[in-house]
Amino acid sequence: MLFFKPLIGTIIVLVLVLTQGCAFNRGTLGDDIRPEAVAAIKKATTTKAEVLSLLGAPDRLLQVNGRDVFQYYRYDAKAGSLLLIVINFSRLSIKSDDLFVILNREGIVEDVISSKRTDGLEFRFWPFGE
Amino acid sequence: MKLPLSGLCSILLSTMMCMTFVGCNVVRINLNTPITQDEVAFIVPGQTTLADVIDKLGTPDSITDSQTGVVATYRFLDMKYSRVNFGWLLRPWTPVDPDLIISRTGFGADAFELLCNSDWVVMHQSFLRHLSGPRFNPSPF
Repeated sequence: MLFFKPLIGTIIVLVLVLTQGCAFNRGTLGDDIRPEAVAAIKKATTTKAEVLSLLGAPDRLLQVNGRDVFQYYRYDAKAGSLLLIVINFSRLSIKSDDLFVILNREGIVEDVISSKRTDGLEFRFWPFGE
Repeated sequence: MKLPLSGLCSILLSTMMCMTFVGCNVVRINLNTPITQDEVAFIVPGQTTLADVIDKLGTPDSITDSQTGVVATYRFLDMKYSRVNFGWLLRPWTPVDPDLIISRTGFGADAFELLCNSDWVVMHQSFLRHLSGPRFNPSPF
């Protein structure tokens, strides 16, 4: 038993020293795009004024295919770091939620395109692989 | 107390590992999840609409106008950064913190672009392949 004590002690010290730190960081840009507000927008019914009252001013106003397009976006970033004193691993993952509201020439909603990519965003530490 | 040989070996091995990885940083930044060729194989130019693409791939990052129609773009970024500070090797023997750092950053920018006509039918599709270079190679030389 005496034979193993220094080895076990060494391993414990090394494990404590090498795995002593990890960090979680998060950053967001823009407000959350409320799903209930998006659901309230109806094609061929909702007007430009109603879109503005539901979602506020768009982050970007585009002219596409002769139509006005309101773009709303939100970015979410999650960073995980393993700080092992002698070697540090970090990974930052960024995803966005985007909403495009396409308005016809009369100012009525023609189409609504949205997706929420940030739902699947996770903290990741390992920088290798996919 | 005298250390047994196995204990000494494990300490030496651990120390060698620490010295090898001394002052290393490995960082990766990803923007969005990359789209593969297989995932866009369903797109048939002249038949598939932008709505079909959005159903499968989600919302594009940008929609812009062009002379011949609408361009929808899905963007991705894959950045790899690695750094080694050889100055760490001297820290036990010097009162100052000397630095001898080598590092390298590789940006891999990719985008999937769709050109649609005025009826929102996809006419052309293409990847912009500016993938990152060496994988976590800290040598700038």
